[in-house]
Amino acid sequence: MTAPAATHSPAAAPAPTAALAGKFLVAGLVGLALTAAGFFLAHDSAGVALSYLVGISYWSAVVIGMLMLVLIHHIFDAGWSVVIRRQFEHGLAAFPWLFVLFLPLLASAWLKPGLIWPWMDLSHELHGGHTVGTDPLYLKKASFLNVKMFTAMTVGFFAVWIWLSARLRKASFTQDADGDKKWTFMSRKTAAFGIPLNALALTFAAIYWMKSLEYHWFSTMYGVWFFSNCIRAALAFGVVITVWLYQRGDYKGIYNTNQFHCLTALAFAFVVFWAYITFSQYFLIWNANVPEETFWYNIRESGDWWWIGMLLLFGHFFVPFLFWLVYRNKATRAPALKISLWIAAIILVDICYNVLPALKDHHGVPQPFFSVNLLWVLTSVVGIGGICGWAYLRSFARTKLIPIRDPRIVESLTYHEATAP
Amino acid sequence: MTMKKSYGLIAAFDSTPALFRACEQVRDAGYTRWDATTPFHVHGLDAAMGMRRSKVPRFSLAGGVAGFITGMSMIWFVDAFDYPLIVGGKPYFSPMFAFPVSYELTILFTAFATIGGMFLLNKLPMHYHPLMKAPQFVRAMDDRFYVVIEAADPKFHAAQTRALLAQAGGQDIAELEE
Repeated sequence: MTAPAATHSPAAAPAPTAALAGKFLVAGLVGLALTAAGFFLAHDSAGVALSYLVGISYWSAVVIGMLMLVLIHHIFDAGWSVVIRRQFEHGLAAFPWLFVLFLPLLASAWLKPGLIWPWMDLSHELHGGHTVGTDPLYLKKASFLNVKMFTAMTVGFFAVWIWLSARLRKASFTQDADGDKKWTFMSRKTAAFGIPLNALALTFAAIYWMKSLEYHWFSTMYGVWFFSNCIRAALAFGVVITVWLYQRGDYKGIYNTNQFHCLTALAFAFVVFWAYITFSQYFLIWNANVPEETFWYNIRESGDWWWIGMLLLFGHFFVPFLFWLVYRNKATRAPALKISLWIAAIILVDICYNVLPALKDHHGVPQPFFSVNLLWVLTSVVGIGGICGWAYLRSFARTKLIPIRDPRIVESLTYHEATAP
Repeated sequence: MTMKKSYGLIAAFDSTPALFRACEQVRDAGYTRWDATTPFHVHGLDAAMGMRRSKVPRFSLAGGVAGFITGMSMIWFVDAFDYPLIVGGKPYFSPMFAFPVSYELTILFTAFATIGGMFLLNKLPMHYHPLMKAPQFVRAMDDRFYVVIEAADPKFHAAQTRALLAQAGGQDIAELEE
């Protein structure tokens, strides 16, 4: 290993980030305030609420993906990712805040049922005359789709995420001080039961929060679709954060081409995984051609949503896939950063594509993508993202940059793959 | 029995740092047809030897593109051109149902091209190599490191190459026969 940059050693506390954290907090509060103002002042409060749901689903996806990556790291007893793992552990600090930010949505479920999720209001009139309460497709699912279940399950998802995060963070941060191997074993056990728990939580979260907006629809791929976006989002932000730390000087002499190439290669693999899942969902529905399933895509072929679908096909798959086929674009920071930022943005479009067309007019036609709701999506994403960024930076300032006493830290620092020049 | 044609020069090194330094010097001297022989995997030696990335991915890409085109065109030819047949009320041809097969063929042909390209580039299986009959080869599999510079290298010069290896710290420099 070459010596790290002269200003500070890797073992020392990272350079101050308090000012940056303050900026994130301000941006977050401004974004949330604008979204709240929109909700209470705008003509269409349902559109604002649904946009906020997009924002919270997006940032939850990022943090759920980070949790999954940390768990996967531990279950495989991985070496290369030790120097990266700490950044994901800091990201997990956002879970409690995401829960707090979800509370307005839970409140809306009780105070104004049917505002966001139409099945919460049994008197909600469906296209064709009858109501949710008399709809056989709702009645069959009623034991699952009711406000009490929704509330209990959502609290449950966050309980699982916050509990798993707390265990992983405590183990990792305490090991910095005492160097005890037992923390590594504890995290491996957390991973063994945490992966199925997190898989269930994220699947049901996707079903309750997003898929149930159009509760007539069936898709067995939905949870996996959300999972693939979670992992892609976490890896995209993993690239952004680690490149930022490298450019700031923290990671100089710690983070090398080999670990970076592993991270981007994993992101590249999930580009293909996302395409596989998303195509399979479309293909099975296209092939079976059952009205209960095809209506979902028919809605998304009306207006400008058709173009958004094309944007997802090319922008979410072909663009990153073709760029990342080239080794240089995976192993070099500048192009990999650009592709990762693009992926982070296109995942937001994907979630918009899944959520926003649920908002239909009386003729069953969805509001277009380019409408005022896009503004509320952006204020929500900035608002919730600002809080998540602030939570990350607050946690970042409290611990070492890397897990200095992890049993595999040396293996990670000297990680070398034979294919890299 | 006369001495056969010379294959090149072999020099021994006792430690990996010595081998690293020697490889860097041979690399910087501009040799292209040479190799290092070690008893175990030495990380980073490829960089010290100035080796470029493998060209196997180019074979893989060609195989993948060929596989995808094969799948798409085969299904179009069979279902829409040669013997048009309606299946499940679907169009004669659609990239939708042709996709899973094309995708599988992309993977299959990529795998074939990767394996084939690897054997083409590394020239395996190789039943004879002059190093195998050299007495040093036993130590190269045990506890010693070797650099071999081929006589076929355009920069090879019997005296100068020997001097370079000696200067790089090489011991027991000897000539290998073809």
